[in-house]
Amino acid sequence: MFVASPDRRDVDTPPPGPSPRRSLDRERDLASLALLAERTRPVSSSQTRLLPVLPPLADLLPDGALRRGSTIVVAGPAGGTDGDITVALALLAAASGAGSWSALVGVDDLGAVAAHDLGIDLDRLAVVPHPGAAWAEVVAALVEGVDLVVLRPPFPPRPAMARRLVARVRERRSVLVVVPGRSGWPDHPDIQLRIDDLRWEGVGTGEGYLSGRRMTLTATGRRSAARPRHRRLWMPSPTGAVADAGGEAPAGAVPQP
Amino acid sequence: MNRLLVVRCPGLLDEDEGGAALRSFVEVVDAVEAYCPWVTTVRPGICSLPTRGPARYFGGERSLAQLVTDATAAITAVEVGVADGLFAAVLAARSGLVVPPGGTPDFLAPLPVSVLGHPELAELLDRLGIRTVGDFAALPESHVLGRFGADGALCHRVASGRSGELGELRQPVPGRTVDGPRPGGRRAGPVGEPGFWGGVSDTDARAGRALASVQELIGPDGVTTARLRGGRDPVQRARFVTWDAREGHDDSTLGAPWPGRIPPPAPAVVHPALLHAELADADGRAVSVSGRGLLTGVPGRLSVEQGAWSAVTAWAGPWPSDERWWSRSRRRSARLQAVTGAATRLLLVERGRWWVEATYG
Repeated sequence: MFVASPDRRDVDTPPPGPSPRRSLDRERDLASLALLAERTRPVSSSQTRLLPVLPPLADLLPDGALRRGSTIVVAGPAGGTDGDITVALALLAAASGAGSWSALVGVDDLGAVAAHDLGIDLDRLAVVPHPGAAWAEVVAALVEGVDLVVLRPPFPPRPAMARRLVARVRERRSVLVVVPGRSGWPDHPDIQLRIDDLRWEGVGTGEGYLSGRRMTLTATGRRSAARPRHRRLWMPSPTGAVADAGGEAPAGAVPQP
Repeated sequence: MNRLLVVRCPGLLDEDEGGAALRSFVEVVDAVEAYCPWVTTVRPGICSLPTRGPARYFGGERSLAQLVTDATAAITAVEVGVADGLFAAVLAARSGLVVPPGGTPDFLAPLPVSVLGHPELAELLDRLGIRTVGDFAALPESHVLGRFGADGALCHRVASGRSGELGELRQPVPGRTVDGPRPGGRRAGPVGEPGFWGGVSDTDARAGRALASVQELIGPDGVTTARLRGGRDPVQRARFVTWDAREGHDDSTLGAPWPGRIPPPAPAVVHPALLHAELADADGRAVSVSGRGLLTGVPGRLSVEQGAWSAVTAWAGPWPSDERWWSRSRRRSARLQAVTGAATRLLLVERGRWWVEATYG
């Protein structure tokens, strides 16, 4: 098992410390391979331009879906983090349910039951809880084969690094959802989602239980998405899913305090 | 890497015919659990707990180690140690040391390579004149994978303090669940080959290759996946295992009815280590849960990890749970949902102490 093997590599990753020329060749090879694949293969999910979202979220996005190659930043109320991970998970849910792979980077405290109840297929969800200093490299490697990546940067990202990562995501046609918390994201995302007016329902002073949370989501973006869009949502709803909360409780909502 | 306290019972490492060693070990685990409900059994005779919350509560890692030693001394001889990551923490326990945070590579450096538990690797290194863990750690990482293979690379990551454990350390303890990376969590052979995926789909094969390259970057145990099973609460229902392309999926217990479960929706944030909390009424008097499962006061404010008090605007519960009724030291605990301005929490109270188990993030 420990015999010296000069070049035993299991997958086609570049060798450690590739020369610039070599990686250039590799990129050219990949590009021609992609072209070939496009010509020979019937249209598969990785060739489509859009990934689905849960219907209550569709109105927030310019295409009514997630555009491949785009970056979305989710910001909690007043620069905080309350609700941000729920919104990020909800964005993945429909695509995950439809067979896309997703990954969480820097999230070491995932409530897996909540993710499952939102509609995420845990069999196709990878979690990299502690990427450490290599977080950007980890995201760059993931977007090679994973459609949706949620990133909570463990360190405040530098602008140049953020821009490189966004360019990589665009090139690999994945979707990057960033939950930057208080450290912020030093780049203009395609879509910014802001959370406001969070309110848990169903719980009083010792009676009931947390039955659901209402929040307002505001999406702003660039170009076609420049006009802010607002949506009042149950997130999570009493079943742990996402539902429209246009002022009314969804069916099955239980006791108000 | 997690700060871990390891309790090692040298007399209980081997199972005996009558199961007496195992029963004594369960007593040790029960005694340790008095200090932190989140104790993991590593293998028969060894258990670990994350020190972050309990060390703050009990005045530092050293006093926590002393308390645990005292609590278990009556049951059997124990060795207690603290370090970064499970591998170093087990060695620290053997020497009865509390290795300071960040000091793990220095602690490991003078030890012989044989502590890595791979005799073939140790022999090969010895022939190359590499005798200590520190010498091995000093080899450039890029050379290690090529020369010593995947197992060697894993040992190298542990030797240099970049990874916390070798999968072989863990063994199931009968009657208890063992979480964390399992033996055989390493990837071997090309990913995406028919047989692993059963020719499932191109999508799965692409994802498999991407995840494998992440494992090459940060180590095989750096990529995990979540599994669910039936259980009383959102914390017990989920566990994370090292991602492995060869694994099948098994969620047969998912959704099994389980009385006493806290009603949905489940919290989106489950803290990997419990956070220390204090719950008081509006006048600052501590609130607890009585033996009959009732609150002893009206929750008015909450402090987490010794932070500022925030007002509790609403709460629900307590939901008492009487887990592990088969164990001699019966464990009474209860859970409470508490809404404050900053966050909405799922609290756990046990032996009069409050912890934040999860946050409705």
